Amino acid sequence: MSVVDTADSRAASAPGGGTADNRGGTVGTRGSRLSPLERTGTGTRVVIGVALALALLWTLVPLVWMLLSSFKPSEAINSAEPQWLFSPTLQHYTGLFTGGNELAPYLWHSVAAAGGSAVLSVILGALAGYGLARSGMRGKRHLSFWIISTRMAPIAAVVLPLFLMFRQVGLIDTVPGLILAYLTFNLPFAIWLLNAFFADVPQALEESARVEGCTNWQAFRYVVLPLTKSGLVTTFVLCLVFAWNDYAFALVFSGPHSQTLPIAASQLVTQSGIDWGQLCAIGTFVVVPMMLAGLAVRRWLVTGLTLGAVTGE
Amino acid sequence: MTTDTESPTTAARSADPAPPRRRIGFTGRMMAPGIALLAALTVLPFVTIVVMSFSEVHLLGGLSLDFAGLSNWARFFTDPEMGWFWLRTALYFVLTLGLEMVLGVLLALCVWRLIRGRNLVLSMLLLPMFVAPVLVGLLGRFLVDPTIGLYSWLLEQLGYGGDVLGGTFSAFAAVVAMDVWEWTPLIALITLAGLTSVPLPLREAAALDGAGRWQTLRHIVLPSISNVLLVALLIRAMDAIRYFDIIWVTTNGGPANATKIVPVRLYETAFRFFDFGYAAVIGLAMLLASIVIARTFVRMLDRKGLAR
Repeated sequence: MSVVDTADSRAASAPGGGTADNRGGTVGTRGSRLSPLERTGTGTRVVIGVALALALLWTLVPLVWMLLSSFKPSEAINSAEPQWLFSPTLQHYTGLFTGGNELAPYLWHSVAAAGGSAVLSVILGALAGYGLARSGMRGKRHLSFWIISTRMAPIAAVVLPLFLMFRQVGLIDTVPGLILAYLTFNLPFAIWLLNAFFADVPQALEESARVEGCTNWQAFRYVVLPLTKSGLVTTFVLCLVFAWNDYAFALVFSGPHSQTLPIAASQLVTQSGIDWGQLCAIGTFVVVPMMLAGLAVRRWLVTGLTLGAVTGE
Repeated sequence: MTTDTESPTTAARSADPAPPRRRIGFTGRMMAPGIALLAALTVLPFVTIVVMSFSEVHLLGGLSLDFAGLSNWARFFTDPEMGWFWLRTALYFVLTLGLEMVLGVLLALCVWRLIRGRNLVLSMLLLPMFVAPVLVGLLGRFLVDPTIGLYSWLLEQLGYGGDVLGGTFSAFAAVVAMDVWEWTPLIALITLAGLTSVPLPLREAAALDGAGRWQTLRHIVLPSISNVLLVALLIRAMDAIRYFDIIWVTTNGGPANATKIVPVRLYETAFRFFDFGYAAVIGLAMLLASIVIARTFVRMLDRKGLAR
C-alpha cells in the first residue's frame, strides 16, 4: 500500500479519456486523452510554455556552462565577457591525468567506496528488508522507526563520534572506513526501501512455492527476488549516488590513501586561485555517470527517493 | 531486538508446511546481519557522542576523555551566539523548503499539462538532483565569480556590480538559490506523481459541476495530493538538516557568519577548534530535531494506515 496508487489512476484514465473525448468537442489539437479540466486556453498554454522555458534555462545553463568550460582554453574561461564560441581543447581533461595531477587514485577510491557501500547495502538490505516485511515480531514498528531515524540522522552528528571510533581502530584514511561510514546512511535506506518493495509482493506467491516444496530461502531467492529486480536496481543506483556524491564524510575521514573525487574537486580551490578549467573537467567526470544512472531508473525514482511512501509517476 | 528463535523444538516440527515459529526464526535470521551491522554503526556512535557531550576530549598524545560534567551543556544553553545560529538555520530551512515547495509544485503543474515531450522535459529538469552538492557549491562559485562568472556578468548588465558571495545578504541569497536549484526538481517529481494519480472521474465531476480551472485545482486536485506534498516536505526537511556541503565550499559560513548554519558551526567547532565535547552537544541537539521530523514522517504514514 502507498499514499497514492497510480495503477488505479492509469486504469481509470484509459477509459476516462474516451468519455472526455466524446463530451468535449473543443478538445482540439492537444490529443484525445484530455479531460475538460485540461482544456487549456491559449493564454494558459503560453504561460505554461514560458514558465517551462525559464525553468529549463535555470536548470540547464549551469550544467551546460560547466560542460562548455571544460573544453575551453583557459584564456576563454578567464575572460571577463562570457565566451560562447571557442576552439575546443582537451587540455583540462588530459591535465587531470598528467603533470603532477594524478586523478586515477581518486577515481579508484570513489568507485571502491561508493560501489562497495552500495553493494553491501543492497545485499544486507535485501535480507533485512525481506525479513522485516514478512516478520510478525512484536516491536516491529519500533524497529522500523529506529531504522528510518538512523537514515535521517544529521551527517555532522554521525561524523563526530565515528571520527573518534575510527581513530581508535585505525580506520581513518582507509577505503573500508569510508565504506563503513557510507553504510551509516545507505544501509538503513536500503533496508527501508527494499522492505517497501518486498511488502508489495503478495505473500501467497511464497506460500504456494512452499507448498511446492521450496524452503523459505528458495522461495525468497527464486520467487521473490526476481520479482523485485527493479527495486534492487533502484536501491543500488540511489545508494551509489548518495555515496559517490558524499563530501562531508570524506572531508573528515579520508587522507592521501582514500580521497575521493569530490575531495579532488574541492582541492582545486587554493589560496592562489582556482583552476576553473580543471574544476569543470572533474565536475563533468563526477556528474555525468550519476545522471545517467539516475535517469536509467527514472520510473522508480519517486518510490526510491520517498523511501517507498509514494509510488509511480 | 531480532527474534531469532530457532530452537530444537521448532526444528523437530519442520515437517509442518508453515509452522509460525519457524517463520519468525527465518525472518529473524534474514534480518540479523543487516540489523546487527546497523546497530554497531549507530548505537556505538550514539553512546560515544553522549559520553563526549559530558567530557573534555583530548586528541593529542592519544585519545582521552576527561569528565567535564554539564559544562558543555551549560555552554550550549548560555552561548548567546548559539541562538543566532539556530535562528539563521531556521531561516535558511524555511526559505529553502518554502521556495522549493512553491516552485516545485508550480513546476509539476506545468509539466503535468505537457502532453508531448513530457519525458524529455522532465528528464532534463531532474538533472540537478544527481549533482554532488559540493559541486553545486563549486559551480555556483564559478558562476558568480566577480571577474569571470557568467551570472555575475549577467547581474552586472542588470546593474548589480558587487561580489555576490562577499555581501552578507547576497551570500545568504546565493546559498539558498543553489539549494533551490538542486532540490526543486525533487519536489516537482514527487508532486507530479501525486498529480497523475488524481482520478480523472473526480476532475471530470468537478468540471461538470461547473467548477472553474482554478476552483478544481484549489478544491479537488490540491486536497487529493496533500499527503504526497507532506511526504515531499518531510523528505526534503530531513535532507536539509543533513547536508551543508554547499555552504562549506562557497562561503564557509561567512561573510560575518551570515551563512553559518548549525551543521557548519558543528564542523568548525570539532575539526577547526577541536572542541569535540561542545560539538557533541550541538550534534545531539541536531539529532533531536531530525528525530522529531522522522517521527512526524512515520506517524503520518501510520495514520493513513500505510506503514510498511
